[in-house]
Amino acid sequence: MIKAVIVMNDQGKPRLVKFYSFQAVEKQHELIRSIYGVLCSRANNVSNFIKVDSLFGPDARLVYKTFATLYFIFVFDSSENELAMLDLMQVFVETLDKCFHNVCELDIIFNFNKVHSILDEIILGGQVLETNSSEVAKAAEEISKMEKHANSVTLVPSISGWSNR
Amino acid sequence: MALSGMRGLSVFISDVRNCQNKEQERLRVDKELGNIRTRFKNEKGLTPYEKKKYVWKMLYIYMLGYDVDFGHMEAVSLISAPKYPEKQVGYIVTSCLLNENHDFLRLAINTVRNDIIGRNETFQCLALTLVGNIGGREFAESLAPDVQKLLLSSSCRPLVRKKAALCLLRLFRKNPDVVNVDGWSDQMAQLLDERDLGVLTSSMSLLVALVSNNHDTYWSCLPKCVKILERLARNQDIPQEYTYYGIPSPWLQVKTMRALQYFPTVEDPNTRRSLFEVLQRILMGTDVVKNVNKNNASHAVLFEALALVMHLDAEKEMMSQCVALLGKFIAVREPNIRYLGLENMTRMLMVTDVQDIIKRHQAQIITSLKDPDISIRRRALDLLYGMCDVSNAKDIVEELLQYLSSADFAMREELSLKIAILSEKFAPDLSWYVDVILQLIDKAGDFVSDDIWFRVVQFVTNNEDLQPYAALKAREYLDKPAVHETMVKVSAYILGEYSHLLARRPGCNPKEIFSVMHEKLPSVSTPTVSILLSSYAKILMHTQPPDPELQSQIWAIFNKYGSCIDVELQQRAVEYIELSRKGAALMDILAEMPKFPERQSALIKKAENSEADTAEQSAMKLRAQQQNSNALVVTDQHPANGPSTVSQLSLVKVPAMSNVDGESPDPAVTEANGTLTVVDPPFEDLLGPMAIEGPPSATAEAEHIQASGLAGVPNAGEALAIAPVEDQMNTVQPIGNIAERFHALCLKDSGVLYEDPYIQIGIKAEWRAPHGRLVLFLGNKNTSPLVSVQALILPPAHLKLELSLVPETIPPRAQVQCPLEVVNLRPSRDVAVLDFSYKFSSHAVNVKLRLPALLNKFLQPIQVSGEEFFPQWRSLSGPPLKLQEVVRGVRPMPLLEMANLFNSYRLMVCPGLDPNPNNLVASTTFYSESTRAMLCLLRVETDPADRTQLRMTVASGDPTLTFELKEFIKEQLVSIPLVARPPAPVPPQPQPTIPPSPSATSDPGALLAGLL
Repeated sequence: MIKAVIVMNDQGKPRLVKFYSFQAVEKQHELIRSIYGVLCSRANNVSNFIKVDSLFGPDARLVYKTFATLYFIFVFDSSENELAMLDLMQVFVETLDKCFHNVCELDIIFNFNKVHSILDEIILGGQVLETNSSEVAKAAEEISKMEKHANSVTLVPSISGWSNR
Repeated sequence: MALSGMRGLSVFISDVRNCQNKEQERLRVDKELGNIRTRFKNEKGLTPYEKKKYVWKMLYIYMLGYDVDFGHMEAVSLISAPKYPEKQVGYIVTSCLLNENHDFLRLAINTVRNDIIGRNETFQCLALTLVGNIGGREFAESLAPDVQKLLLSSSCRPLVRKKAALCLLRLFRKNPDVVNVDGWSDQMAQLLDERDLGVLTSSMSLLVALVSNNHDTYWSCLPKCVKILERLARNQDIPQEYTYYGIPSPWLQVKTMRALQYFPTVEDPNTRRSLFEVLQRILMGTDVVKNVNKNNASHAVLFEALALVMHLDAEKEMMSQCVALLGKFIAVREPNIRYLGLENMTRMLMVTDVQDIIKRHQAQIITSLKDPDISIRRRALDLLYGMCDVSNAKDIVEELLQYLSSADFAMREELSLKIAILSEKFAPDLSWYVDVILQLIDKAGDFVSDDIWFRVVQFVTNNEDLQPYAALKAREYLDKPAVHETMVKVSAYILGEYSHLLARRPGCNPKEIFSVMHEKLPSVSTPTVSILLSSYAKILMHTQPPDPELQSQIWAIFNKYGSCIDVELQQRAVEYIELSRKGAALMDILAEMPKFPERQSALIKKAENSEADTAEQSAMKLRAQQQNSNALVVTDQHPANGPSTVSQLSLVKVPAMSNVDGESPDPAVTEANGTLTVVDPPFEDLLGPMAIEGPPSATAEAEHIQASGLAGVPNAGEALAIAPVEDQMNTVQPIGNIAERFHALCLKDSGVLYEDPYIQIGIKAEWRAPHGRLVLFLGNKNTSPLVSVQALILPPAHLKLELSLVPETIPPRAQVQCPLEVVNLRPSRDVAVLDFSYKFSSHAVNVKLRLPALLNKFLQPIQVSGEEFFPQWRSLSGPPLKLQEVVRGVRPMPLLEMANLFNSYRLMVCPGLDPNPNNLVASTTFYSESTRAMLCLLRVETDPADRTQLRMTVASGDPTLTFELKEFIKEQLVSIPLVARPPAPVPPQPQPTIPPSPSATSDPGALLAGLL
């Protein structure tokens, strides 16, 4: 089972935090800080795997990958295959790339709500839900359409100016 | 690029981003929280849009790490909003903010349920996601059936069904008692036929959860899993968008192979063959390529296939192929593959037979200890630790010691512990062990816990041969310029006890020893000083004739500490100076420490405990457990509830101290002096973890024996028939019931025959026709040798027995194998007895054990048809070839159980031959030199009204055989509850231990123990 999905930048600022087994907010941040402490001391060209028994209990593992300024982190237990988790992370990132056309940290910051709904299409209750990134992108597209539709009804002004940042 | 579409939210996020420091951020967040709070208070003026915006803000703030302790109600209430955007926010934020026991969730259950059973697919998806992410008990109770329906519904889109599958999985995992999955095997099998890969992947995850809980029910899914694997891995029959970098859905392949690992085996030969074909293809067809993502995916599948092959216990050839692959992996450039290669090799160690192949990669694994990646270094360390055994311990431990100097600080503690454990477990000789631990203290003293050096002291004390060597080594280490305090402790202790053994060597006369120790005194802490003081006293005692110069030097020190502010040191100094003035009496009082009773290493115990605690029972772990239970002889097993060893050092003997105080040796002062031992921290420490759990008083001991005697009563009769012949000396109690062990071995061919705190005797047998080959495994559980080992066979007349030479001494922790050849000359139900004895410290143990070379071992079950049976049965017309007897007092058991019993005694029950369903007919072949192969037939007629009696008819071509077999079967039917045998003359009497007599006080060992 996947225990947590965390996206943080290279300064340790969280950008997306999703725990599949509930943790109190203080605990969450303690964990994120400890993970950051481990990750920032790791060199390039080393493996993507770390055992995190001390943080998440026996048999807990972590895979991470850096994309530009961001760390993507999956924490899971021994019932998952490490490399498959890494693949899934790649699917997640590729899907974000599809949805945001060349995703960057800012996209994730300002659209964290959308990132949540994309993640919900890939992982559910700590299990792999969908691995086909076009399928996920399609579902995400449907969701934004529905949002837009509703937004246009409530006549909320769109703020296209932000998109250039 | 679409933005969140909420200006207020975007403004807030950029404000937070623009904050220069944490304090500014906190101010901004607090301001926003205040704002949201006021807006929520006046809910009426709030539009759904605003509410949505604020709830998103709350989630953002929550993500930043601030506690959001209000607004939960608003988030939950959005779930029931009619429009999608609000509803979506409600669902997402609720699933992040609330845990499964939150009261507000209860309020939402109805809405959630309506969304699940409603027609709107997008709402269904949102609701399923929430329930799946939270998985609470009340959700499970009220929603599980609806979710099940959605999963099976043919009218639902795959988008919904795959979510339903995972939602159900989560509910089941969290509340297996609530979610009813009875009768789900058919549905599960159906789901595995699903063509949509998304639904199939989710269903496979669900299957893994169900199977891991109860594999029996889901047998029908097994062939389907193999089919799916074939479809993906062999036929690549899969829609293009589900291939990932050219690999057909690696996730589904991985999950499928995971599911297969929860079935204990694959029985159907066709399925098994297909599965192995696919696995072979995966193993051979995976290459390392340039594209990292493709590599990851293909190796994800490959590593899972390896795990499955290990689980299936494939043929040795395939296993060695796997190890070869892993050997290749641990040397590749790609760090992830190196990492997993090492990790999987570690898992592979659990598979028997491949250890030797893994050992071939030892050099490469050692190189991995220097890998730039600490994750990989750790895996390499784990693997080396796991693969270490007697044959390679020297190499591995020495490598680890070398590595210690360059290892990361973070790893040193673990590394030290592992070195200590391995060197203790697998020491080829004890001097090597002492070398290793002293080196370890020298290199990483900070990480060497007290347990480790206590253990060295214990070994040295118990092994006389080791003492001069250890003393010499200790002396050498003290010469070094910078010595770790732990080294000072252990060296001072050893030199105090044994430096006199070195007296003739240059640089080792008492004066020199004293001065090298005394040099360290200014730089050590109080507990170490107290050890030094004791050692000085010991040196003084060993220096005969006394050296006045040394004496005055040491006395000066004692005098100085006689007014020390530390009570402990002061007391020690005062006592030692008084003692040393006693002249010759000093010899008695300060004599060498007696041997420690054997006990399991605290370290190894700790290591075992930490290995034992696991949260989830993975397939591999289950497997490991199964294997452990088959282990024939576990050399390092702690007697679970065995009697505590009798010690000569019980605290009762403290009166030693009374001499010091110049009082009369009155036992009454015991108590007063007993407190002395307590206020003696350093040595209490020393004795605490490693020394004696001696009985606090003789009565406790007696009680204990009494208790164990009582426990043995139900079997007393039989147990005593073969009970250890206890002489007065012998207070060693066997572990487990000898009779029960024997009975178990009558039915199986390997197991433990006898065990006590010092030795374990295992047995493994092979039988062929009239020949048998037994191997006795004599395992010494101690850290000192067992001596005067003797094994005599008392053969009955009908067996020819040849026992190979049994060595007189069994080295510490070693296991000796003694083959025993058996030939059956003629039919008889007599039993061979093994007369076994050994000595261990003051205990002489002698036991007589029945050997499981019984009549039934020479039987070969044979299935006969009616055409064969009846002519034979008729031709053996009556006595003496065919005997009939009515047996009474049979242990009542159902017919099926009786049939099983016969089968387990190798009498094959042939169903259907006897028309009466209350009767059993069985056949077998008996082998002996005199009878050759001889067919035996058996008929048992039972009375359903009275199960305690039956009529038995046995027939064979040999009168003795007929009689013996009849009697043998009768014994088995009657004697199981162990009522038939007459009670043996002496029931296990509680043996009162000798109460501590005043004379005990003159025992120097006891005196010292009391002193310390």
